[in-house]
Amino acid sequence: MIETATQLASVVLQSSAPGIPATAAAALAVGLAALGAGYAERGIGAAAVGALAEDESLFVRGLIFTVLPETLVILALVVVFLV
Amino acid sequence: MSTASGTSNPEYVVARVRARKASLFGDDDYRKLVRMGPAEIARQMEESTYEDEINALGARYSGVDLVEYALNRDLAGQFDDVLGWTEGRLYDLIARYLRKFDAWNVKTVIRGLYSNVDRETVEADLIRAGEFSDRQVDRLLNAGSIEGVVEVLDGTLYGGPLADALEEYEDAGVLVPLENAVDRAYYEQLLANLVVDEATEMYREFLTAEIDFRNARNGLRLARSGADLDPAAYYIDGGRLFSASELSALSESRDELLARIRDSVYGDQLDNALTVVEETESLIGFERALETALQSYADRLGVVHPLSVTPVVSYILAKEREVDNIRAIARGREAGLSPERIEAELVVL
Repeated sequence: MIETATQLASVVLQSSAPGIPATAAAALAVGLAALGAGYAERGIGAAAVGALAEDESLFVRGLIFTVLPETLVILALVVVFLV
Repeated sequence: MSTASGTSNPEYVVARVRARKASLFGDDDYRKLVRMGPAEIARQMEESTYEDEINALGARYSGVDLVEYALNRDLAGQFDDVLGWTEGRLYDLIARYLRKFDAWNVKTVIRGLYSNVDRETVEADLIRAGEFSDRQVDRLLNAGSIEGVVEVLDGTLYGGPLADALEEYEDAGVLVPLENAVDRAYYEQLLANLVVDEATEMYREFLTAEIDFRNARNGLRLARSGADLDPAAYYIDGGRLFSASELSALSESRDELLARIRDSVYGDQLDNALTVVEETESLIGFERALETALQSYADRLGVVHPLSVTPVVSYILAKEREVDNIRAIARGREAGLSPERIEAELVVL
């Protein structure tokens, strides 16, 4: 009984195929990062458009602030090259 | 209200409101304005955010009237804008706060009817910034009698309380019951079902402070005038500083009332103002200090909770202050007061 249990455990531990392949995991990481960036941009974008409506000269600044969270996705993209 | 549900958009609204707040007149502008005559003030306003209003009204009015009408119209326009931008719960909260202009309009119409002022004059004093549509306000103006006003308001949140107070008014012949009914209805709806998160919790504390200040001011005015009126009749529920009976007892002695305010949570902010009242017996300074304290309270809340209703309320207060200040300057200049004297009357942070 105990013997079979240890055998089973060793089989489980040794089987090297992970739940998701590494490339799929990397893709997931990038996707989640993009989701986060999108959520962050939602608020910033709304505020930027609001500021823009009051003062059009803020266009460039508003745009820069709006796309700042994109850096999250770019950093997450690094994972793809590491895998 | 159907718009009370759904997501609100504080980011957008707060960004716009902050931009508008930044373009309000500052200390330097006021210093310039107090040295100008009414015509120059109008010209100065034309170069600022009031341009449209001054241009629209410039052909019909001049001098102080022009300044005044432009101020009222701009105030209403600004707050309509804010309501137009907001959605969801934020809309609900701001609409509730802006109903104070509905309350103001109702009270103005009632006062006008009571003292037989003609329609034009009353209309000039109305601020169409609240929830009532223009048609409703016009119906109020056309009501013709106080009973008529109560009838027009039937179905709004002022209808019930006013109808109840009408009898008392007819018996006593004074406006106090009617005005109190309006004020109470306003503050009741303001505080109802308010708190859902930390920001609204703080917001409620702010509203509590506003009510407390109102009660304190009424109490002090009564204590000073020595009139034989029951302060409890003017008491507004919802404050934490006094209860109705306490206010009655305290307003008999000014010193006790002042000591009570000094010991309260507002003591630190109002310390200087209280000392001035004790020494000079002048309430103007104290009332200005109350307004300043309220404004800085709202500003602080706006910084602590940037994505809530508080920055908007802080803007509403600041805008009202500006309108009051410019009106005081224009009126003061017309009456020939010295710039120093007018400057002392302004509420500037």
